[in-house]
Amino acid sequence: MFVLSGYEYLLGFLLVCSLVPALALSASKLLRPSGGGPERRTTYESGVEPIGGAWIQFNIRYYMFALVFVIFDVETVFLYPWAVAFHRLGLLAFVEALIFIAILVVALVYAWRKGALEWS
Amino acid sequence: MNLAEGVQLVSFAILAVMMIGSALGVVLFSNIVYSAFLLAGVFVSISGIYLLLNADFVATAQILIYVGAVNVLILFAIMLVNKREDFKPLPNAWVRPTMTAIVSAGLFVLLSTMVLVTPWAYSTESVSSDTTIVLIGQHFFSDFLLPFELASVLLLMAMVGAIILARREFLPDQVITPDKQQQPVLTLPERPRELVGISSDKTSNLDDSRRSE
Repeated sequence: MFVLSGYEYLLGFLLVCSLVPALALSASKLLRPSGGGPERRTTYESGVEPIGGAWIQFNIRYYMFALVFVIFDVETVFLYPWAVAFHRLGLLAFVEALIFIAILVVALVYAWRKGALEWS
Repeated sequence: MNLAEGVQLVSFAILAVMMIGSALGVVLFSNIVYSAFLLAGVFVSISGIYLLLNADFVATAQILIYVGAVNVLILFAIMLVNKREDFKPLPNAWVRPTMTAIVSAGLFVLLSTMVLVTPWAYSTESVSSDTTIVLIGQHFFSDFLLPFELASVLLLMAMVGAIILARREFLPDQVITPDKQQQPVLTLPERPRELVGISSDKTSNLDDSRRSE
């Protein structure tokens, strides 16, 4: 039966994670001066006056970077079991993983040649 | 009921409530950014349920891909299309909810049939957590080799398609007609009241009040 063995560190980590924002917000609530007027409620933008709203249309380049990231993220997840089970799989699996990587290198080369990795 | 089963039951209850609540929030929130963040909550809850099912690698992959990549992609897509455009009332406003209801009901019927038909017998022998990844790797390179290799081709296709779409090589340069953008906002016939309220209130944004209609 499943007893959550080996997940003590994960539970402790989750506990610390959930405590951090609560502690940070309550500590700053204790420390900060009260009052302040309408300027205190504006967005903090590194000391500069914020211009316009935060809801703007972003550049499509961010989307392209995110797509490239998704694809290589999935590749990493596919390669991780191969790397863990590498000693038991043998040479044939190595060749097959090389084919897998080679097909994705084509994708990387395509993205590179099309300039998807450049900002400019 | 011993301690382990109690812990499992309580964890499952918490995760199920989190997941259903987040999923309802995804559907019911009028602000689409809140929906996207709550979708991350749904994914995290699903990952927790995978952990309860001893599928630790799937849980990690769920967090890594769905929360870390797919949800970020969804947020970027929202930011891309989040333009303050002037909406006009649709001529057939009943069509879209009706179609959505039909498709959702069909999906519900399909899934509930699947839940009822599937034999839910599971093996009671526990798989130790350090061998699941090795097992997945062995399956990848023996009986699931073709899907594994096809996944790379699929990723290649996704990459090429994404780059072509994002570079707009085959799209016209000017999709939005300029006269639609220059239309003054306050002369919109359908919602003059909300826009007056927004101009006086700086903190609320346009999309919030527009979708809450």
